Amino acid sequence: MTTLTTTPDGRAARRSAPPPAPASAARRPRQGGTVLAVPALVWYLVFMVGPLLAIFVIAALHWPGMLQLVSFAGLDNVRAVLDDPVFWDAIRNTAVQLAVALPVMIVCAYMLGYYVAQRPPGHRVIRYLLFIPGLISTPAKAMVFYAALSPDGLLNGALSGVGLGSLTDAWLASPSTALACLIALDIWSGIGFTAVLFAARLGSVPDELGEAAQLDGAGHWRTMWSVHFPVIRDYVGVVTMLQFLWTLFGSAQHVLLLTQGGPGTSSTTLSFLVYQKAFIAADLGYSQTVGVLLFLAGLVGLLTIRRVFRQNY
Amino acid sequence: MKLGKRWLPAHVLVWTYAVLLVVPLYYFLASAFKSNEEIFAHPFAPPTSLGLDNFRTAFDSADLGLAVVNSALVTVFSLALTLLLAIPAAFALARSTGRLAGVVEKVFSLGFLIPTFAALFPTFLLAAATGLFHTRIFMVLFLPATALPLSVVILVQFMRTIPPEMEEAARLDGASTFAVLRHVYTPMCLPGIATVLLLNFLTFWNEYLYSLVIIGPDPAQRTVQVALPTLKSITGTDYGVLTAGTVLTLVPVWVVYTVLQKRMQQALVSGAVKM
Repeated sequence: MTTLTTTPDGRAARRSAPPPAPASAARRPRQGGTVLAVPALVWYLVFMVGPLLAIFVIAALHWPGMLQLVSFAGLDNVRAVLDDPVFWDAIRNTAVQLAVALPVMIVCAYMLGYYVAQRPPGHRVIRYLLFIPGLISTPAKAMVFYAALSPDGLLNGALSGVGLGSLTDAWLASPSTALACLIALDIWSGIGFTAVLFAARLGSVPDELGEAAQLDGAGHWRTMWSVHFPVIRDYVGVVTMLQFLWTLFGSAQHVLLLTQGGPGTSSTTLSFLVYQKAFIAADLGYSQTVGVLLFLAGLVGLLTIRRVFRQNY
Repeated sequence: MKLGKRWLPAHVLVWTYAVLLVVPLYYFLASAFKSNEEIFAHPFAPPTSLGLDNFRTAFDSADLGLAVVNSALVTVFSLALTLLLAIPAAFALARSTGRLAGVVEKVFSLGFLIPTFAALFPTFLLAAATGLFHTRIFMVLFLPATALPLSVVILVQFMRTIPPEMEEAARLDGASTFAVLRHVYTPMCLPGIATVLLLNFLTFWNEYLYSLVIIGPDPAQRTVQVALPTLKSITGTDYGVLTAGTVLTLVPVWVVYTVLQKRMQQALVSGAVKM
């Protein structure tokens, strides 16, 4: 549920100045207690920031396994990674995954959010259902997709049932469809919760705005994209960033549970490569070098998305 | 605004997606009570009997009972530790007007940008170095750290709404800083605490990758999310058992969601919107 977090960008950063206190209180600031923030800060630095910095150190080490000798490698790992065709396969897969999943998810979720925000009949039921993917765990989602897509699963059963038996396939085990299955999982589980967020945000846009557009003869399609979208543009940007991060880093779990990166490297994504090299191939320097590159990719992606969705009115 | 006839395609698409969300759950719930033959023959038929054989098999073959207990232990202790760390920190940051506090708050909100997955391997090393590898204890120590940024920021926002006069009045009665925290701030931001608890309950209960790597596959220690995927290999393609196990892991979340639906929805949305 990393999706729940959001960036410090925006409102959180814009803290208003403390209200002018009465003269007596100003001379006697509320004292004591600041030290209470220390345990949380220490905890956070030890368990979050420390390990994050360690990635950069390990990336510069030659470390061929947990119990092996460690030596300084400098940029050797970077060279090894860049020379490895598997790395480039992973880049390609991740690029495809992001290029397909992210736009589809955000556009569909935005339209769905708009739909729910108009309170059509049954919108309460829809809203209740949209939370489902946000509630169930990654392994449970993977089990759903496993049951649906395995050779004798739901999809093949349905295809044979309607006489399209020739179309059945071992979806998760076929090089041409494995990555598509992972993308489908991203989209299936991503749309629901993202739509809920958009609906909540659209709900706070004044009704008059849409009504005025309607009076001017704009249909819902125009209202949705030319009136409401610009208003919540920066919010769409924040949500896109979240989904970007979640898709980029979270895919390791889906790959691990459903395809193990295969067949071949057809569904190996960057984040799965980090996992696989660390815990299966035990090439730790390589793994963390990819980790560093992944981190940088995340950073570049965030800045790009922020730029694209910058409020422009 | 009125929704005209031209909305028909929209209705159809939205309800199609809704069906795609519900069907797998229905399929899982129905299959949990059926045998493999019944599942293949009539995947969508309601179960003919409500026998609990599949649940029993899932329990026995993957030690799910123990796994549920482990998950519950990790979740409860992590939640307690999260509150123990986040409430005092939020209290300190919300009351302070100094520059240092501003920096600390900034550091916490930057935590949103750290994807927890990135540091998986170094965290694994940390677990090994502290001698807590393959224990639930490390997860109880580690999970609150991942939850701190969101929890602290949400609680700070709630605590800022508490008027300073409340504290001044308590001070006049001779209350210490700790007493102010305990008797003024904590009771007054209970809704914020509830939000933090609900959000983190979901995250902790559903956590998978770190539990897999750090607690490991030992049936005595592993959590339910780690135990669940093992059903796939243990039972081969016995979908009845697989689905029964999955349903089982969803029950606690489902109970909480149904009982606290309104509050949970608000919590989930505010977790992202509050910023």
